[in-house]
Amino acid sequence: MFQLPRFLRLSGTEAYNHTPDKNFLMIGERTNVAGSPRFRKLIKEDKLEEALEVARQQVENGANVIDICFDDGLIDGKFMMAKFLDLIQAEPDIQAVPIMVDSSKWEIIKEGLKHLQGKGIVNSISLKEGEEAFRTNARHILNYGAAVVVMAFDEQGQAATYEDKCRICKRAYDILVDEVGFPPQDIIFDPNILTVATGIEEHNNYALDFFNATRWIKDNLPFAKVSGGVSNISFSFRGNNAVREAMHSAFLYHATQAGMDMGIVNAGMLEVYDNIPKHLLTAVEDVLLNKDDGATERLLDLAEEFKGQGAKKLVEDLSWREQPVEKRLEHSLLRGIDKFIDDDTEEALAKYKKPLSVIEGPLMDGMGIVGDLFGAGKMFLPQVVKSARVMKKSVAWLEPLMEEEREEKIITQTSFLRSENSALSESEARAIATKSFSNGKVIMATVKGDVHDIGKNIVGVVLICNGFDVVDMGVMVSCDKILDAVEEHNADIIGLSGLITPSLDEMITVAKEAEKRGFGKRNIPILIGGATTSAAHTAIKIAGHYTGPLVHVLDASRSVPVTTALLSEDRQKFIDTNEENHHRAREKFNGSKKKVALSNEQARANKVTIDWEHYNPPIPEFTGTRTIKSQSLRELANYIDWTPFFHTWELRGVWNPETETLKTRNKEGGKVAKELYSEAKELLERIITEKRFTASGIYGFFPAKADGDDIYLPDQKVTLHTLRQQNKKSGKPNYALSDYVSPECDHLGGFVVGIHGADEWAAELREQNDIDEALMVQALADRFAEAFAELLHHRARIAWGIERPGQFSQSELIHEKYQGIRPAPGYPSQPDHTEKRILFNLLQAKEKTAVELTESCAMHPGSAVCGLYFSHPESHYFMIDNLQKDQIKDYSVRKELSIEEVEKWLGPWLGY
Amino acid sequence: MTTNLSEELKSALRERILVLDGAMGTTIRSYELCESDARGKRFQDNNEDLLNNGDILSITQPSVIGDIHKRFYEAGSDICETNTFSGTVLAQSEFFVQDPRKSGGIKDPEFFDKKVINNSKLQDIVHEINVKSVQLAKEQADRVSQNDGRKRYVAGAIGPLTVSLTNVVDPNDTSFRPVTFDQVKQTYRHQIDALLEEDCDILMVETIFDSLNAKAALVAIKESKTEAPVIISAAVGRGGETMISAQKVEALWNTFAHIDPLAVGLNCSLGPDLMEPFLRDLGKAATTHISCYPNAGLPNPLAPTGFDLEPKDMHDYIAAFADAGLLNLAGGCCGNTPEHIAAIAKSVQGKAPRPVPSLVTA
Repeated sequence: MFQLPRFLRLSGTEAYNHTPDKNFLMIGERTNVAGSPRFRKLIKEDKLEEALEVARQQVENGANVIDICFDDGLIDGKFMMAKFLDLIQAEPDIQAVPIMVDSSKWEIIKEGLKHLQGKGIVNSISLKEGEEAFRTNARHILNYGAAVVVMAFDEQGQAATYEDKCRICKRAYDILVDEVGFPPQDIIFDPNILTVATGIEEHNNYALDFFNATRWIKDNLPFAKVSGGVSNISFSFRGNNAVREAMHSAFLYHATQAGMDMGIVNAGMLEVYDNIPKHLLTAVEDVLLNKDDGATERLLDLAEEFKGQGAKKLVEDLSWREQPVEKRLEHSLLRGIDKFIDDDTEEALAKYKKPLSVIEGPLMDGMGIVGDLFGAGKMFLPQVVKSARVMKKSVAWLEPLMEEEREEKIITQTSFLRSENSALSESEARAIATKSFSNGKVIMATVKGDVHDIGKNIVGVVLICNGFDVVDMGVMVSCDKILDAVEEHNADIIGLSGLITPSLDEMITVAKEAEKRGFGKRNIPILIGGATTSAAHTAIKIAGHYTGPLVHVLDASRSVPVTTALLSEDRQKFIDTNEENHHRAREKFNGSKKKVALSNEQARANKVTIDWEHYNPPIPEFTGTRTIKSQSLRELANYIDWTPFFHTWELRGVWNPETETLKTRNKEGGKVAKELYSEAKELLERIITEKRFTASGIYGFFPAKADGDDIYLPDQKVTLHTLRQQNKKSGKPNYALSDYVSPECDHLGGFVVGIHGADEWAAELREQNDIDEALMVQALADRFAEAFAELLHHRARIAWGIERPGQFSQSELIHEKYQGIRPAPGYPSQPDHTEKRILFNLLQAKEKTAVELTESCAMHPGSAVCGLYFSHPESHYFMIDNLQKDQIKDYSVRKELSIEEVEKWLGPWLGY
Repeated sequence: MTTNLSEELKSALRERILVLDGAMGTTIRSYELCESDARGKRFQDNNEDLLNNGDILSITQPSVIGDIHKRFYEAGSDICETNTFSGTVLAQSEFFVQDPRKSGGIKDPEFFDKKVINNSKLQDIVHEINVKSVQLAKEQADRVSQNDGRKRYVAGAIGPLTVSLTNVVDPNDTSFRPVTFDQVKQTYRHQIDALLEEDCDILMVETIFDSLNAKAALVAIKESKTEAPVIISAAVGRGGETMISAQKVEALWNTFAHIDPLAVGLNCSLGPDLMEPFLRDLGKAATTHISCYPNAGLPNPLAPTGFDLEPKDMHDYIAAFADAGLLNLAGGCCGNTPEHIAAIAKSVQGKAPRPVPSLVTA
């Protein structure tokens, strides 16, 4: 059994243990209306933010505990004690320290205790009203778990002499420890520091009586502490700070020697003992220690000399103010300092020009860091909320300017709307315009079945601070109610919260119903948050039910960056990244389910089994290559698959060549596609008639046989290499392309096509700032290259005798109904780009078609396609992944490359 | 009688690490009840859904709750918590009184006074939840004890509420709180009296994410003058702070040391791995027993139980904690099934409990 010392242990959000190394506990007194005229004034004028600043400064200046007192005839002390302590709860740096609830009114003390989350100190109780009240009050304090200051008072009044101080303290101690059961280490005696040097002879021994009483208490009342209000000692010298400071320091020096543990002091009014001028110190100590009858007189004389001195100001560390404005804003956000925020915001505005750029720039960056720190457990919720409140101030400063900008936009938009549609009245048009430029409106709710409120409330607070209009629907909100509110309020964002697992299903329901109501098409973002939600679950289980943006928000600190990004002008970028993350999460999830790898040997043993003995490979009508120097563009145009063309413009859907329409969920998208198509057709015609592009290509056939996972071309003595799937699969083979070539005698084809002229033209257009046209030119060149690859493949299949001319319609061709495949190196069936080098050499592609390979195996011109031809009826595309080290080793031997080189090229496909 | 109980538990704790139970909420879900099961006949016309009101099941599905207690006791729990985590009028009001915000109102002390605190119908339901819940746990404790001769205990669970006394809800008035300390204290007192009516062995103020809420509960316990032993357990975040009010664990101990609790500890919010450093901090400061019942890892909605760790994992973590001399009571919170508790019970078997430091006397 080991023992712990009986320290006085206090707390705010941090623990304060009065261990021997902390020889003096400083209690800040500036938040006491009785001691600080400035604080009293601030409270009376209801300037509570500034009053909080006083509290903060004390903590910064090293107060271990802050004393809070509202005893003043003109202040409602009970009300203000509650309010001020609640305000402090929202100030992380103040609430870190324990609080001393100071009042002579018991009602106020009781109220204060209800607003301290930590262990504070009650200041004070005494025997003034007799033992019964003393016991009752002490028990009450013990129930709440506070330490207590006991004033040396009894029914007869204040103890001034040494004997009275000791007697009353002893009496109080015995009652507290023996009758009430109060922990002795939590008892703090205040044996009354009374003013000396008043000119009244009885007062001359007050300091000495205090020192002696302190010594007696410490010697005779185990674990009890001694405290006092230090500034009382020097009241006679009001106005002469130099002398007062010297008196405080000297008093504390002697009192701590006697055992005084703590005191209510103004940290700004303390001279360092050793720095007190020698003659002043002597005079002060003569008074305090009551050396002789002339001591007071001597100090009064000397005091004249020091008038107007002292009151040194504590210097704040403002070195961070030297940094650039972005760093200063960041500092303010992280530390929750709003003192400089207006100035810094103004400066940032001058730099960034637009209010929104300030918000989306440095402010959001700062909040991003807040989020990181919170995620890492280095910042806590109250600090996040405080940061958001600093942000609020900055946004509030910018608000009038944004309002002006908004008004301008509304006016412009209103007249535009009316010019477009003359049926609109001025007010109708204005209403529409106003809506489109209003602050973001967020509907928030904890979903049906879930009662958890607090986390959602914090998100709400943070969002409000950032200038959003938040409609909080509360908890247990049904799907319909949420969605009705979205319509009613014309909301921009839906926020769903939930803490328990069943809420996850409810969120799926809300996403589905929101989709049914068309919110997805209207691109109204849904945010998902709460303890059991996760990014992966959101991506895998929820996002699929909603076509609009659906984003998981990790915690309150992330809500602002997410919502801001979602309502910003380049929201698409954020949405795309989010989609990409979802995609990756889904892939990872689907992959992880079957991500068991086989050894290379096992994978090979599970290759495609083809009965080669009973198979007659088709023989092409020629071997060697054929070059097409300049393919007719008109003919190519028939082979164009338009669907991918629209992807360049983010239009997802399927193109129907018969009706010339894009089948898409988005009605607007269909319209846009039609316009794009007609523009493209026009340009296409121009390209063909003006011969802006040259399409050159080459294809050929070679005798071939499979050699393990390689394909060997005996006539050319060339080896092509393939990779094999290494995932453990149920029931299906582990594919490699070589499986589709007979090991005896077979043929393999290859091709390269490229569109010349497009890159140069697009560059020219770009120089003329015609970005749209440049994009269109390149998109069409890509289409031509793909079409050329299709056309050549078509010819090759006919030459190979595996297809009759005209066997398939154009759309059947697009849907790849034919036999055989044309996989390209660098694509899923053979992800190794370096195989292109072998193919290009084999075909002499560079010489014959002027299509070149760059160092990184990219093709030049950019619109080019290459690949191999396989004829086997079972051949198909597949995806290589989860490659293991054993296969890579084997592959690198086959390719005569180092393992590192191979790993470099195949990085994303490695499963180790 | 109760003083004896305190001594009895203390003496058991000197000998071995006692085992707490696992998750009530997530275990209830494995019974796949539906809304009508949760409502029963009695609440069939209730306006709000009750399926996720775990506490109401003590009234409407007592056999499920009893079965869960039975399984935990049989798995090795010495102490099971009653199904009263939300057994206060404040928490239950969420299921029985319409949220004023749905119709544009707010939650403030006036709302709680008018619609909740003095709502006698709600008071009756809450009283019944607490009384029934203690009965259900006691019944199983006695039955399992009789079978193997080892005494089992019932701890009355006193949860954290859905409102906070410290958290800012209105950025334009950071001193505004939806409820007052006295309201919170009063509702806790109502729960505590009901739990004690059935002679619940231990009072357990747990999943503390707001120390001021907890203080209201503990003042209520003090004012009830009960001598039932008290266990205090906080839910801390990754920095070791109470999740909402951000009080560090040592500060929390300083705040509540005067209660002289039977044990102080940590539960919920984190898995054992992330909890360990804060358990150590607490152990260094606390002059009482240390309890620990972490989640089965962090929530993972894609895992079958919703949490990452298997019984074997919990076994290994808790065994390591016990070996390091950190534990006096061990169990599991969210995601811990009876199988997890069996593993935890095995992991502490025969291991020495943490020696409890005392304060110097002179």
